[in-house]
Amino acid sequence: MAKTLFEWDYSGFPGAEKYPHLFKPIQLGNLMVPNRVKYAATEENLNAHDGFVTDAGVAYMRERAKGVVGGLCFMQGVYMDEKRQGQGYVGQAAAWDDKFIPGLKRIADALHEERAVAGFQLMDCGRVGAVEVDYCHGPSAVPQRLRIFKPVQEMTRDDIKAVVQQHVDAARRGVEAGFDVMEISGIVGYLISNFISSYTNRRTDEYGGDIRGRMRAVVEIIEGVKAACGPDIPVGIRLCSEELLDDVRGNTIEESMESYKISEEAGVDYISCTLGWQESIYPVISRDIPMGNWIHLAKRAKEHVKVPIQMAYRLFKPGLPNEKIGAGELDFWEICRSMIADPLMPKKVLEGKEEEVRHCVACNLCLARLFRDAPMTCYINPVCAHESDPEFTDPPAAEEEKEVMIVGAGPAGLECAYMAASRGHEVHVYDKRDVIGGTLNEAKNAPYGDDELWTCIEYQKVMCEKAGVEFHLGTEVTEALIEEEVPDTVVLATGPVYPEIESAAKNSDKVVNLLDVMSGKAEVGEKVVIWGNRKPGIGCALHLAKQGKKVTIVGKERTAGFDINPSFKWRYMIYMRQSGIVAYNDCDIVEVTEEGVTVQTYDGVRWQVACDTIVVSERATNDNLKKVVQSEGIELFVVGDALIPRNLSSAVHDGYRIGMRV
Amino acid sequence: MPVNVEKELSQSWKRLHGAQAEIGKTFYRWRQVALEFAGDEVAPLDVSLRAAEIFGKDISKSFLPRLNWLKGEEGFMLILGKALAGIWNTDGAIAKVEKGDNPGEIFIKCSRDPWPTWAKEFGVPMEEVALCRERMYQSILEDVGAFMNIPLKVEMQKAISRGQGETVMRLYKA
Repeated sequence: MAKTLFEWDYSGFPGAEKYPHLFKPIQLGNLMVPNRVKYAATEENLNAHDGFVTDAGVAYMRERAKGVVGGLCFMQGVYMDEKRQGQGYVGQAAAWDDKFIPGLKRIADALHEERAVAGFQLMDCGRVGAVEVDYCHGPSAVPQRLRIFKPVQEMTRDDIKAVVQQHVDAARRGVEAGFDVMEISGIVGYLISNFISSYTNRRTDEYGGDIRGRMRAVVEIIEGVKAACGPDIPVGIRLCSEELLDDVRGNTIEESMESYKISEEAGVDYISCTLGWQESIYPVISRDIPMGNWIHLAKRAKEHVKVPIQMAYRLFKPGLPNEKIGAGELDFWEICRSMIADPLMPKKVLEGKEEEVRHCVACNLCLARLFRDAPMTCYINPVCAHESDPEFTDPPAAEEEKEVMIVGAGPAGLECAYMAASRGHEVHVYDKRDVIGGTLNEAKNAPYGDDELWTCIEYQKVMCEKAGVEFHLGTEVTEALIEEEVPDTVVLATGPVYPEIESAAKNSDKVVNLLDVMSGKAEVGEKVVIWGNRKPGIGCALHLAKQGKKVTIVGKERTAGFDINPSFKWRYMIYMRQSGIVAYNDCDIVEVTEEGVTVQTYDGVRWQVACDTIVVSERATNDNLKKVVQSEGIELFVVGDALIPRNLSSAVHDGYRIGMRV
Repeated sequence: MPVNVEKELSQSWKRLHGAQAEIGKTFYRWRQVALEFAGDEVAPLDVSLRAAEIFGKDISKSFLPRLNWLKGEEGFMLILGKALAGIWNTDGAIAKVEKGDNPGEIFIKCSRDPWPTWAKEFGVPMEEVALCRERMYQSILEDVGAFMNIPLKVEMQKAISRGQGETVMRLYKA
């Protein structure tokens, strides 16, 4: 009879009625898991650089454990070698010695205190490892495709035996620390996947050759880990169902499915279905990939093996995984980025509070930070990585209630509003528009998934309503209004201003504003020059290119889209090339003529670009009302693009922090 | 204030060629430094060939993200040949590629090579120019070959050391 760790009764919860398949139990090996929710192991760079667990790491995991409401909750993958060749992240936890067990136990205990099933992951990062040393290791010394990774040293047979033993020893430490499920990471270019792939395994000995040979080390690891864990602890593996490495002669789909079968034969109790490598040229999880795009891979996996199949990858909402589990095409809903954005997401789903979920916007800032040795943060969740700081997680009530006037109902203003109101202030949000959302009303019209950004506003609206924020829409805040209301505090969240192009004075009829273009109010000719090469300009360029316009971007930044995080920027650059958009960077518009504009490089070379319309997307700080508020002696804060034009993330983070401080 | 196209183009052209000339001169200035440090026991050609290897190793790092086997061996070899020719062109040469008669065989033909002129200015033997080009390309191909699991070679078929006529190199699967 399968063991049950914690009793959970979901009957009576609205989410369990709405999504019955998500909240029904499933057996993994000899363990009964109460539901189908799994927080997938995620690096967060919050641990000490010598591999010891920190308070921040424990607090981060505890929040996610609350969220899975009895389901699987995996801590980040641990590296297992003292030489640190397998370490892929500076803040990655280690398990290469018994001295790490007490720290790991702290995490297991925290997960158990929240009555979650505690998962431990073994992760040698292989050719993307060695973040702190000069050489990483792999089955063959295939040169790195990406400059950021270290040269690969080919492993000897003894090295392979040592790595197998390291997995076994680390698994034993995980068990001693109190974890309930063991997982082997074989994804995205880590060591296990290096052995399996024909791209990176060129060996001619027993650890290379055909797929069975390439799986040999994996099988030895599975068997060793199974033996170390004993019958009561299920062992799973994360494996690529498609490597997306056709361009470098990686595995075929048939070979990938064969790796699933071999793993099952070796004794795994479940398989987590993944796809893509860090070296793949195909996008997998960015916002331009539609939600549910990859779910068919889980069905295919289930056609090849009998063990339960888990999968994440653009499954941000509960409907689809519930449906697919019900249809027998999936067994577990894995969640990663969605629970970075909102650790309590599944809990809110269960409790029927879906409207209170702060949705991930698939920007991949979290990944970009990790790859640059920075601690985890989230574009949309200001609390992420601050879980151990009560000032963030449970901001203290205001010492005295103030009347707070927030000018602007965009993301910065709304974030500030609900936070300040929840601390006990009387908060009034004013906006000259009739609707909330600020410039996101227009930004969400940009193509390739930018409509998902609007989920931020939907969340903030609900939170404002819950906190009792009063809205005054269609009301422009003027000097007279401020003098009349005399609030205790004013927060200016008015968004940026769009400066005029001085040289366009004679031909100003050609010049239109970005917001009018994105909302469809402005008429735009066939040939368009966009002034400004940051994200808003790029979004607008892609929007117009989709309509068949010939678009040229001119901007002062040295590279277009420098304000977009690198893990997403490459997508925009590809779409720009595919759309025929030309970007003249490090350039200025020095003249607007009847025919178009004169562009000048930083060093003075000039040429003309013909156009019918010039769209201004350049933004500047908004100082309107600042002096008025200051002259009245009122406490003043400026947030979001009004302070410095940046992005949605900065708006949200600004708003939250000022909401904490007011 | 209309744009004077002739002026703008000639200004840009001068800057480009000035920068290209500096590439060669900088290389030979550093060669001089390296020789002074290396001492009399070291052959100047060995120093230059080692430099060519290091250049090749670094250039290959920018090749690897762009390699693509989806067009098959013939397409891959042609794109690779164009990329090698492109390095030469960036320096100020006129280099083109042609398919050879054998499968996967590509010829890189350079009809205007600025390197011999720069070498002459610094008193460097002409054969060193040709050997360094070959070594640099071979160094690139070592990494490309290891990456794609395909043995690649390049060999000088015809070296016109004074920059007149045509230099021909053969790229092939070994």
